[in-house]
Amino acid sequence: MPRYSVSRRRALALLTLTSILLITLDLQGNAVVDGVRKVFGAVFAPIQDSTRVITRPIENAWRGITGYDELTEENERLQDAIDQQEGAFIAALATVRDAQELLALNGIDNLADISSITAQVVGEGPSNFAQTIEINQGSNDGLRVGMPVVNAAGLVGKVTEVFADRAIVMLATDASYAVPVQVINLPEEETTTTTSTSTSTTTTTTTTSTTTIVPAVESPGLGVATSVPVDVATSPAPTTAAPSTSIASVLTVAPPTTTPARTTTTVDINDLPATETGALRGRGADRAPIVEFIDQSSRFGEIRVGAVIITAGGSKSLAPRGIVVGRVVKVVERSGTSGAVLEVRLSARLTSLNFVRVLLYQPAASR
Amino acid sequence: MIEFLNRSYVRTALVGLLALGLQTTFLASASLAGIVVQLMLCLAVAAGVSGGSERGAITGFSLGLMFDLVLSTPLGLTALVYGLAGFLAGYFNSLSINHPWWLRSVVVGGSSLIVMFVHPVLATWVGVDGWLTTRVFKVAVVVGLANAVVGLAAVPLMRWSLAIKRQERLAPPPEIYA
Repeated sequence: MPRYSVSRRRALALLTLTSILLITLDLQGNAVVDGVRKVFGAVFAPIQDSTRVITRPIENAWRGITGYDELTEENERLQDAIDQQEGAFIAALATVRDAQELLALNGIDNLADISSITAQVVGEGPSNFAQTIEINQGSNDGLRVGMPVVNAAGLVGKVTEVFADRAIVMLATDASYAVPVQVINLPEEETTTTTSTSTSTTTTTTTTSTTTIVPAVESPGLGVATSVPVDVATSPAPTTAAPSTSIASVLTVAPPTTTPARTTTTVDINDLPATETGALRGRGADRAPIVEFIDQSSRFGEIRVGAVIITAGGSKSLAPRGIVVGRVVKVVERSGTSGAVLEVRLSARLTSLNFVRVLLYQPAASR
Repeated sequence: MIEFLNRSYVRTALVGLLALGLQTTFLASASLAGIVVQLMLCLAVAAGVSGGSERGAITGFSLGLMFDLVLSTPLGLTALVYGLAGFLAGYFNSLSINHPWWLRSVVVGGSSLIVMFVHPVLATWVGVDGWLTTRVFKVAVVVGLANAVVGLAAVPLMRWSLAIKRQERLAPPPEIYA
């Protein structure tokens, strides 16, 4: 059995103590440690870039060998998904435009107002435990620590380290990642849209009242049923048309009215999808992120699989309100007052990121 | 200049920087079954096999510190773990007088496997959440097997890097004289 001299034991003890000292300093946010990291990052960047250029062809060849079948299957799957979503996307555009107009009208910030920078993912995390990526934009482009990172599908993560021309992004699956979110629950039953129309004319004294039950319409991309009762009151219009039981014919043949038409749209807030806030937390590469600390109200009802998760925003949140996060895939009920835990499937596929957008957003509290 | 480059710490620093370049680019992307092969760990362990537990610990600490500087985990954590890896590998290697190639490979693979369990435990101890999951088993096995193969080349590389002469290499491990 080998024995160790006093000097060797001292050397080992010294290394251990040095490590513990460094860990302690770093955890306390020591400026010297940060400075050393930045200097090393600047020195190491050219070596890393050169290595990347040299190894890129080998990397591509490796991916070609190991991922070809998977890539073909993924391509077919994505093609199907694109076909399904194309129609829904066009319909969603109109809704989004309406929503943005309403937000602007009421002076409320929305995602479209926030400047962003497109960045390319140039590296993945070298560790098996921390979930990070490296992007090719840095402080020279206005990036700051904490800024949210998204792609076309939704939330990707947040910037955790910024260098002059590159930055490290912590993915939403990292165990250290957390962000306040809103859960938009699905309705309990298929919601109906009720349209009540009352039309009267001065000459024919015909009054028609029709109630039409329309099946629920699923909003594309959000999966939330809309339920908006609309009261349309058409002002009296002189007409010689015979009284008709069909409201459609009355509305169609009516000539221009002598008094301006008045249309009132009433949105019943109780029929809008219920939302609750919670906190999204990553749990590592192989486990789905979870939403916890949900404050469930009676109106919110039972959370359903498929409920949509968006960022909640707020004066202290690092992400603005409205970034799509994903959908609930599993609801784990807990006893007592701790509330349910929701497992979430992120909308963005974090395993195959190429281009991302960094929102140049800073919470109101830190502006 | 050549004399300067022949110094063991200069060679180790150069080898470490190149390995770190590979680790953060090619190896980070070309994973095996979703697991990133840990070349820096392999070099730390190979240093222990080549130069004994003391040199292994110091080299492992240095390589770990370099790796720490590009990671977002607490500085010193990887240095501590890789220092331990180099020490362990040197210790295991000293248990045998003869060191056939397969035994070196087993020592490198086995030490890497053990250290991949220790790393998340220490991370959890210093307050890094979420590392200690069942995924650790998969990570440890894949990294252990990969390093056992890569170790066949890493041990001679670290022998050159640490400037270990043939006479010293063929001599019994220094631990038995201590």
